Formats: sequence, C-alpha cells, structure tokens
Amino acid sequence: MWMKNDDELVSEVLKGDQTSFELLLRPYRLGLLNMAYRMTGNREEAKEICQDALIKVYRYLHRYEKGKSFKSWVYKITMNSAYDFLRKKKKSEDIIESQKDLHFATSPNPEQQFLNREIGSKIESCLRNLSPKEKAVFLLRDGDGFSVEETSEILKCSSLSVRTHLSRARKKIRAQFDKVNLGFKKEVNSEV
Amino acid sequence: MKCKKIRHWLPLMVGLDLSEHKVKAVKSHLVKCTGCQQEYDAYVLSLEKTKEWLEEDKQNWEEREWQQAVQNAVKQKKPAISPFAPWPFTKTWAYSLMGVLAAALLFLFVIKPFNLREGIAPESEMFARTQAQLLRSAFQESPQEVVKMTMVLPETGQKIIWIFDKNFDLEVKK
Repeated sequence: MWMKNDDELVSEVLKGDQTSFELLLRPYRLGLLNMAYRMTGNREEAKEICQDALIKVYRYLHRYEKGKSFKSWVYKITMNSAYDFLRKKKKSEDIIESQKDLHFATSPNPEQQFLNREIGSKIESCLRNLSPKEKAVFLLRDGDGFSVEETSEILKCSSLSVRTHLSRARKKIRAQFDKVNLGFKKEVNSEV
Repeated sequence: MKCKKIRHWLPLMVGLDLSEHKVKAVKSHLVKCTGCQQEYDAYVLSLEKTKEWLEEDKQNWEEREWQQAVQNAVKQKKPAISPFAPWPFTKTWAYSLMGVLAAALLFLFVIKPFNLREGIAPESEMFARTQAQLLRSAFQESPQEVVKMTMVLPETGQKIIWIFDKNFDLEVKK
C-alpha cells in the first residue's frame, strides 16, 4: 500500500482533512507519550502533556517548515509542553512528592504488574538525580535514538551543550545504576 | 594519553558521541589500560540495562484515549494557512513591515519633533510666503513706478521693506 509522507499529510490537514491529522501523528504517539511519561513519572500527567502538544501541533501546523523533520518538530513541541507543565507544577507543589505517585501501565496480570512496578521503580531511581535538561537529552538520545544534532535542534541548544548534558546524565545514571543493581541483586539472593 | 582524560570521555564514548580521532584514542587506550576498560564496561552495562528497562516499561495509549486526544486537538482550532506562506516570504514580509514601521516611528517621534524645535518648518513657510509676495508684487506692481518688497524675520517678527524706484535705486525703511 502506498503510504503518504509527512509533508503530504501536513498539506492535506492544512486543506481541511482532519482524518489526515491522526494518520500524521500515529507513528509518533508512543514516543511522545513515553517521553512525557519519563519527564513527569506519571501516566495521567503524560497524557495531559501529550494533549496539550497535540493541540499546539494542530494549531501551529502552518508554521511547520516542509522538508524538515516532522518528528523533530513534534518532539520539540512536546518537550516544550513538558517543560511548561513541570514549571507550573513546581510552582504549585513539590515535584518529588508527586513523582512518588507512579502509575504504571495497566496490566490485567498481577505478576506482570509487579514486574512493571519493579522496572518502573528502577528507571525512576536511575533518572531521579537528573536535571530536567539532562533527562531530556538522555531520553532523546538514548531513549528515542535521535542524533546529537537532532537533539540540539529539538532542545534549541548547541551540540556542545547536548554533549555536556549527555555526559553528565550518563555519569549520574551509571552511579545510580550500581546502587539500584546492587539492591536488586540482594533482593534476588534473599528470595532464593 | 592520561587515564583522567580518557575517563572524562568515556560517557560519550559509550554512545559513540565523540569525534573520530577521540574514539580512536580511547580505543587504543582501552586496549592497554584494564582499569579504564572496566570503567568503560560499567558504562556500557548501565546504559544497555537502562535502555532495556525503558523498552520494557513502555507506556501505550488505549485506542479510545488516543482517538479522544486527537479529536480534542482538532476541535480546538482550525489550522490557519499563513497568507504569507511559503516560509521564506513570511520572514521577508515580517522584516519589511518592521522596517517600514520603524522608519515611520523614527520620522514621527524623532525627526519631526527635532525640526519643530529648530523652527525649520515655520521659517521655510515664512520664506516661501515672502517669495510669493515678492513675485506677486513684481508682477502686479510692474506697471507702477515703485516696486515694494517686504520681508518678515521669523525670530523677531521684524519687517524689512525694500522699495525700488523705476531706476532701481534702493530705499530701505525699517
């Protein structure tokens, strides 16, 4: 089946075809949700961020420059929405307190739920000490596989800054990973 | 190369985010130095494992939620096609408009008040009036034997009247 590329779908949405909007964003929906989820640590908040980003994407679609990467453009908007959300949230409440209230993927299987919770808490521990910028750089580069240049474009900063934040993030994760992994091994041994 | 420098590069080396010559330098160092090699392996392990966890803990939209989110976005506002599209012209138009606006503001608030302060405008007006008067009098009074010219000084309001007889002998009255 012949698939339309992003630029063609953008043109169709601008002409008034609303169904093309869903087709345009469908390939990126998981990436966007997970990016927002990692930034906030809460699924409901992540959905809220994505909703805000979708509204902005639709409203400002005419500003998208054809020929450039639509994926980067959408991620940039989502990242800005996440930053706005975190800024607002920081004003109203303590961010760390709310991150404890993690909501993991709903799974009917209790074993799977437990496993998800386990992995989720490990990721949360690893990312806990990262600043929002470091977290964003790490998730874009290592989570979503964007290049350093693409990451710098999404976050509107230089490649040098991306490398600096990436280096710091990986150092912190490595330090935290040792602690998490050690704790996990101890738990497994005690269970055995 | 010193271990300190190599270890500084290791976090970026894990994802090959270094320049080629640095990657080469690190690789050749790792072959010789077991301490740095262990450190590098630890970075690789932490990164690989974190990526694995991220993959395992991936969140997904429920189809209904996703459709609802898209519908909400579409309902908000119709995307407007810019009248200045395509892109390069948008900026050109914007900059041109800004330029015109800046020039207008400069003229209104800087150049014009300056002229008013200096009194250039009233003086030139006065000068024009005097010239017209002169011409009028020259044409109208030419059949007469006496030609009279009057000039008013803008600063003092003083009048200077030149009166010429038919032989163009000048007589000044103040």
